[in-house]
Amino acid sequence: MGIFTKAKEIVPCTVEVSHRFESLHAHVRFNNGAVVYPGDEVLVHGAPVLAAYGEVIVEDRTATITRATPIERWWTRATGDFGFMELCEFSFSEELLS
Amino acid sequence: MKDLTQENTHDTTHGELHSELAGKFDTTAMATETTLLNPRFYTTDFDEMDRVDVTPVRKEWDALLAQMKSDPNKGHFKKTEAWDKVDWEGMDPALRTEFIDFLVSSCTAEFSGCVLYKEMKRRGTNADICELFNYMARDEARHAGFINDALREAGVAVNLGFLTKAKKYTYFRPKFIYYATYLSEKIGYARYITIYRHLEAHPEQRFHPIFKWFREWCNDEFSHGEAFALLMRTDPKLTTSFTNKLWIKFFLVAVYSTMWVRDHARKDFHNALGVDIDWYDQEVYRKTSAIARQVFPMEIDIDHKAWIPNLNRMNAAMIDMEKGKRKGGITGRIAHATASARAMLAFARLYLIPVIPSTPPANVRMEPTY
Repeated sequence: MGIFTKAKEIVPCTVEVSHRFESLHAHVRFNNGAVVYPGDEVLVHGAPVLAAYGEVIVEDRTATITRATPIERWWTRATGDFGFMELCEFSFSEELLS
Repeated sequence: MKDLTQENTHDTTHGELHSELAGKFDTTAMATETTLLNPRFYTTDFDEMDRVDVTPVRKEWDALLAQMKSDPNKGHFKKTEAWDKVDWEGMDPALRTEFIDFLVSSCTAEFSGCVLYKEMKRRGTNADICELFNYMARDEARHAGFINDALREAGVAVNLGFLTKAKKYTYFRPKFIYYATYLSEKIGYARYITIYRHLEAHPEQRFHPIFKWFREWCNDEFSHGEAFALLMRTDPKLTTSFTNKLWIKFFLVAVYSTMWVRDHARKDFHNALGVDIDWYDQEVYRKTSAIARQVFPMEIDIDHKAWIPNLNRMNAAMIDMEKGKRKGGITGRIAHATASARAMLAFARLYLIPVIPSTPPANVRMEPTY
């Protein structure tokens, strides 16, 4: 892989979206054991997985993993930590002015 | 208790599906707005996580994990008759907006926690760590589902369609996961229990039933925090080295000051609860600091004379940043840049307030007692 070119991989994956009262979650798993590294981008193909309320959808799909360049990987490693605020319940909204 | 199955089959789907299927569903609570959940996806140094050895805290670890396994809150997140009818129509529009923002941000935080924990569980090979993250992901997904239901009642649909959008994976160093999630879980506990206790004394100000669930709810946050406290104890360097102490202070100041800014943007919400924001935030810091003595070697001096003035400076600067951004153009950009320099200066001043050093006790474990 060159410094500025990006490698792409097409991989099989399973998506699980739960839109239930008991559990609201959405996950994607790569079925061939592909590993995602910092700065990589993942795109699950096909239409949005839309679980109606009360529904769990598990589907096999394919995904494209676009590998980060070494510079992007380094940058993500250096700066990714600062996204931590998202985990705090009071951090999300962008609106400070009403 | 309401028949939830019945309710599920007759209720709304979320935005996009709703438009496709309108007419095929008997939607008793039409979604009037859709909010797209957009969590980050994470990677970390999984090899380092796999090498974590909980032997030094094995006894406390096993006890905590056994408690999580027993799932004490399994039956808690159900809508019982205590879930009063909410008059969304009659609610003051400004309050409604802020309260929905509160629910959405809470739901997003729970959801993001779930994504992070699930990823840890899936990629790790260390049985102790995987078991822990599995329970925490379970709790977070359950909390998110509960909040989602409250949003649905308000006519707000959560869209989970983000999976098919391009997602960049970001990176957290394991030790930052410990500091940040420890703090976010413990501060979450302190926030929920402070509101709960306040409303216990002033039930007339409880304008939504979800607050009644906060006491048991925040015990989940508390025990997640306990797990991270134990993890930090497995490697003393994490809380004793010079650099790591600076990082811990950074996380404390960043989280505390963000909370100050965010809460001060929700005036109507806090008014409706009858909560003075300055008092509430200081009270939450106080509780969080007292709890964090279990593992952090310091606490922020929140009674220092420079503390509140600089939090207010930071808040004013953040508001001006937002104004600049909205204005746009060159003048907007200049205003934004000036305000952001002021915010950084305020942050630096907060950071430079000397900390109160403390010595964590031999036994790390605590119980939620507030």
